[in-house]
Amino acid sequence: MSDPLIGKIFDEFPDESNWDVVVIGGGPNGLIAGAYLAKAGLKVAVVERRYEVGGGLATEEILFPGYYSNMHAIYHMMVDYMPVLQDFNMNRHALMWLKPNAQTGMVFKDGQSLLLTRMVEDTKDSISKLSYKDAIAFGKLMRKWRKIVDEIIGPATYIPPMAPIEISMAMQRTKVGNEMLELVEQSPLEIITRNFENDRVRALLLYTSCMWGLDPRETGIGMFVALMLQRGVNKCYCDGGSHKFAGALAREIVGSGGTIVDAAEVNKIIMENGRATGVQLAEGRVLRSKVVMSTLDPHSTFLNLVGARNLPTDLKESIERWQYDKWSYYTLHVVSKEPPKYACDDPWINNAFMVIFGIESTEQLLAHWDNVVAGKLADNFGGHATCESLLDPHLVRSPKGGYVSFFQMHAPYEIEGGWEKKGKELEGAVLEKWRKAAPNMTKDNIIMTSHETPAGIEIRFPNMRRGGIKHGDYKPIQLGCFRPNQDCSSSKTPIEGLYVCGASTYPGGMVLGGSGYLGANKVAEDLGIKKWWKPTKPMEQYIKTYLE
Amino acid sequence: MPKEERYDFVIVGGGPNGVGTAAYLAKCGASVCVLEERPEAGGAVENTEPIPGVRITPHAMYMYAGPAPAFEQLELHKYGFRMDWSPQSKNLAEQQVRGVATTQGLAPITDKDAMGWAKISGMLTDPPFIKELLRSIFWCPPHPPEIEVTAENVPYMQVYKRHQPDVWTEELLDMTMFDLMDEYLETEPIKVMHAMVAWYSGAAGHWEGVAIPALGCDITLTIYGGISVPRGGMHDYFHSIIRCAIAHGTVVRTCCPVDEIIIQDGRAVGVRLRETATTDEKKIWANKAVISDVDVKQTFTKLVGPQHLSTSFRRKVEDISLKGGSIWVSHLLTREKLRCRPKFRNPVSGDDAGLGPYPCDSRAIYYEHVADVDGRRGKPTMPPERLMWLSTPGDRFDAADPQCTIPGRYLASPYYTYVPPPEYTVGGPDALDKVKEEINAYLRKAFSQTIENLNDDTLVHHWANTPYESEFRNSGLIGGTWCGTRHCDDQWGENRPIPELARYRTPIERLYLCNQTACHPGGLALMAIPYNLMHILIEDGLAEPGKWWYPSPWYIPQKGKISAVPLHAGGK
Ligand SMILES: Cc1cc2nc3c(=O)[nH]c(=O)nc-3n(C[C@H](O)[C@H](O)[C@H](O)COP(=O)(O)OP(=O)(O)OC[C@H]3O[C@@H](n4cnc5c(N)ncnc54)[C@H](O)[C@@H]3O)c2cc1C
Ligand SMILES: Cc1cc2nc3c(=O)[nH]c(=O)nc-3n(C[C@H](O)[C@H](O)[C@H](O)COP(=O)(O)OP(=O)(O)OC[C@H]3O[C@@H](n4cnc5c(N)ncnc54)[C@H](O)[C@@H]3O)c2cc1C
Repeated sequence: MSDPLIGKIFDEFPDESNWDVVVIGGGPNGLIAGAYLAKAGLKVAVVERRYEVGGGLATEEILFPGYYSNMHAIYHMMVDYMPVLQDFNMNRHALMWLKPNAQTGMVFKDGQSLLLTRMVEDTKDSISKLSYKDAIAFGKLMRKWRKIVDEIIGPATYIPPMAPIEISMAMQRTKVGNEMLELVEQSPLEIITRNFENDRVRALLLYTSCMWGLDPRETGIGMFVALMLQRGVNKCYCDGGSHKFAGALAREIVGSGGTIVDAAEVNKIIMENGRATGVQLAEGRVLRSKVVMSTLDPHSTFLNLVGARNLPTDLKESIERWQYDKWSYYTLHVVSKEPPKYACDDPWINNAFMVIFGIESTEQLLAHWDNVVAGKLADNFGGHATCESLLDPHLVRSPKGGYVSFFQMHAPYEIEGGWEKKGKELEGAVLEKWRKAAPNMTKDNIIMTSHETPAGIEIRFPNMRRGGIKHGDYKPIQLGCFRPNQDCSSSKTPIEGLYVCGASTYPGGMVLGGSGYLGANKVAEDLGIKKWWKPTKPMEQYIKTYLE
Repeated sequence: MPKEERYDFVIVGGGPNGVGTAAYLAKCGASVCVLEERPEAGGAVENTEPIPGVRITPHAMYMYAGPAPAFEQLELHKYGFRMDWSPQSKNLAEQQVRGVATTQGLAPITDKDAMGWAKISGMLTDPPFIKELLRSIFWCPPHPPEIEVTAENVPYMQVYKRHQPDVWTEELLDMTMFDLMDEYLETEPIKVMHAMVAWYSGAAGHWEGVAIPALGCDITLTIYGGISVPRGGMHDYFHSIIRCAIAHGTVVRTCCPVDEIIIQDGRAVGVRLRETATTDEKKIWANKAVISDVDVKQTFTKLVGPQHLSTSFRRKVEDISLKGGSIWVSHLLTREKLRCRPKFRNPVSGDDAGLGPYPCDSRAIYYEHVADVDGRRGKPTMPPERLMWLSTPGDRFDAADPQCTIPGRYLASPYYTYVPPPEYTVGGPDALDKVKEEINAYLRKAFSQTIENLNDDTLVHHWANTPYESEFRNSGLIGGTWCGTRHCDDQWGENRPIPELARYRTPIERLYLCNQTACHPGGLALMAIPYNLMHILIEDGLAEPGKWWYPSPWYIPQKGKISAVPLHAGGK
């Protein structure tokens, strides 16, 4: 900037610049893609719309002033498998994961409770209160499913997708593979009712399997039940808040010479002769590049940024068919003087990473979910809560002290009366429900509240359309090699120079660290860059057993 | 067993001054580790989005650092640094047209006011010398102790003498900013306005002996920086600094509170982290030095054990004054865009929720405000019609950098008002927090003097961060002020914060300071302390910058030390 009187003030980031790779979106996937490629020596710019990178990895002061919360991703289920955590020295950035043994509790009106733990025997002890048979079944299944996840689903998350027929053939090579194939064809509800007899046990396991968006009655996704249950008892918390993971990745990018441009909304992918050659920011700046990698949802990437008229007809039609998540989430964040103390038969529940309440039976759970999918919310809702302060002393920075917790439930994107009104009303209803489960959550105990509605999620992240936290529904035709469609699931798109690698690309949403990793692999291959990284041991084993 | 961790420099605190220092040192090739206790580095230069689509700036808002050598030396533009310039930023004539807000409406600014102001600001010479003036005020380390400070060698005095000799007089060193303005400006409201801007930017209009520092605080914002904001807010400017540090190899760790600076044989050798720190290794060693970006009081009362310090030194540190303006920050989310009452409408931009300081009728009002803030030590006593406050334009300037993206919602933020420091408030540090809602309502009444549509129907949310809260959120903001320790003559320049610490060195060998509360020139994210401190670290043989380095032209090397003037530029 230069002033007519004073002369040059100082330099700013240039209006036009040139890069090897421009990544759109600084969520977990964009950051991972950027980190690998920057370290490979490419000139990388990650462009982020918000003032802070991280996307769903956000730890911010929404209970303002003085209290930080993890507003989005908090339960990290793939820490044990993510290549990025092995390929980079994250200790350098003081990144630390906590995996509590008490993982998921569920409390019922009559004071009964169930507790899923990392250690299977502890869970069996808890289930045995309700059904000895179920306890045994759980132990056996978890042994079996751990193998499926360890050997197959875990490592396969970081290997390019295969067509269903190829998968079937590969899986037939081993016993574990066949067991997985058997699962696939059953719906979550079938798997759980078939294996367990007690309704409360079923309700807990169904909640845990489907809470991130599986349809309980859908077939063809059964292996996700194994994944979600097995990973659901191995969730990690990122000490200091999820954003630390994003911060560590951002430092890897910058430390390798990459650049992050934030508060920079991309409003156009520049197309020249049918090729993507860069991006334009809303403020007018242009970043030109050999490769553009988008981590946004399909409509944003293709219809808005590339522009419908620049798309081949097939691609355009397939993108237009894309379905966003069937539900979103409503979260109430609270600060309380005391942490919630649940009235139940197991004091351990008070320390559990996640506590489910408000759900008394599978019937009620299904009715609640059906309601949500139909765009309604009734009094029969339930959800899960976490007291973050029990895990993390760094979140509270107010003279008033206290504990930060949240309650989260499934909620429709559209609701009668609109979310602005409903969001406030729900606060009261949630607190009442919470008080029933944890009697100390009284008005006196609560210092502050703040909520985020499905509409709010979309305002914060326009790419989480319809509040969809995975950028698109999990149904068989939007999973595996169909995510987001067969032309793009390998990350490369039919548009030369354009790659996709966010939650809407294989393997999908949540903080899996998969799409970004696979995107980086693909771009490195296509640009002829020597990869400085190797597949993890379990990935190598998987390749050897099933692919070679 | 984790490996022993060693760096050349360990910096305690990841505020702009700590991280800025890290960037300079890393660029010199040193290994540097920054330890920050909060989940996010940035100190008081931060952003937050308390509800989706509403981005507020709890503390630092404006770019004051325009003349900083850091832009050239650290090349911040390479790390994503961009500005969101105010459309009227640079147009002094337009600023003049707008007038000054008084209870009677907009008071005109005369040509004499404008010319007088331009003259003392270094704008009347060709080319203007404002940049040099500002650099001499902020970007030069205090003179070494063996040098007697005189009207001849104070850097800004040298600048006036050279470029605008008719302004130079020995009395400049004794004047208040009001005294200075009485000489060069004519109408009262504009003087009161500038005194307020200066007070809310560093040194107040009524403090003796800091007329030029106060002037500098004002014009580095209003003229040089064009009352503008970095794109994405001040925190994104901080991002360019931290990314520069990281690109040169700095390790930054958040959630790593330091509990102790380890001292062996009178020398700082490392730090001990709190047990909750998110690292395996809880001790981190420094080969060359430990640098504290923690406020000066905590550095010497908590981090350095009392056995290492003399009683009289500790006493002096305890006595450092936290008065001078603790800041209550309001952020208003409304259903309608806030509109000025007709008599305040800005003839340049039409409607405008922000009016700068109000009301600027006379210094009587100003002094009433001073008495409330620093004299009475309790709840504000001024009627809301007379209460002084300062606001900013309702939103960022470029539509591509909005603060509020909720359709049909508008954010006016921040509004600043001074209240007494929590440390000295009658009724205890949380006395005002206990009546927070009452004070918020009182403030809205005050704001409504100029705004016609701020009422229960239009208001969606009034967030406020009080001084006491700010102090906790960011433990460096002692006193809840934005500069930590007041920039009065007794705590400025060679006296900041006490003469023993003025050159960033401490009684502990190899322990240096870089926090705003401890160092000249104090508050604001100016990148001045890191630059000034560099001179000292070079003197002590701890930093060896490359060709990119240039020292302050007014810098005087300390006797017996290595000069920070490079050899090629005549240094020894
Ligand atoms: C309430 C909630 C709870 C969740 N809980 C969990 C959980 O416990 N565990 C878990 O694993 N996952 C959870 N998730 C899901 C997880 O956060 C996401 O699936 C994940 O963040 C997706 O990563 P991504 O990098 O693909 O995209 P995102 O995280 O969505 O990042 C995309 C980025 O692109 C940016 N962007 C958008 N538009 C533009 C543009 N035009 N130009 C430039 N940048 C743009 C966005 O600001 C964002 O930073 C949760 C999500 C939500 C909302
Ligand atoms: C309301 C307000 C408005 C302001 N407006 C502006 C403005 O418009 N423009 C401008 O330029 N400036 C402004 N400022 C001033 C600016 O924010 C400060 O001057 C600047 O942040 C000071 O930087 P610092 O690094 O010295 O200290 P700080 O920013 O206070 O940073 C110190 C850091 O040290 C950390 N820390 C403390 N103790 C420990 C420990 N034991 N271990 C580890 N870490 C620790 C703290 O968490 C903090 O991050 C404003 C300030 C306030 C309060």
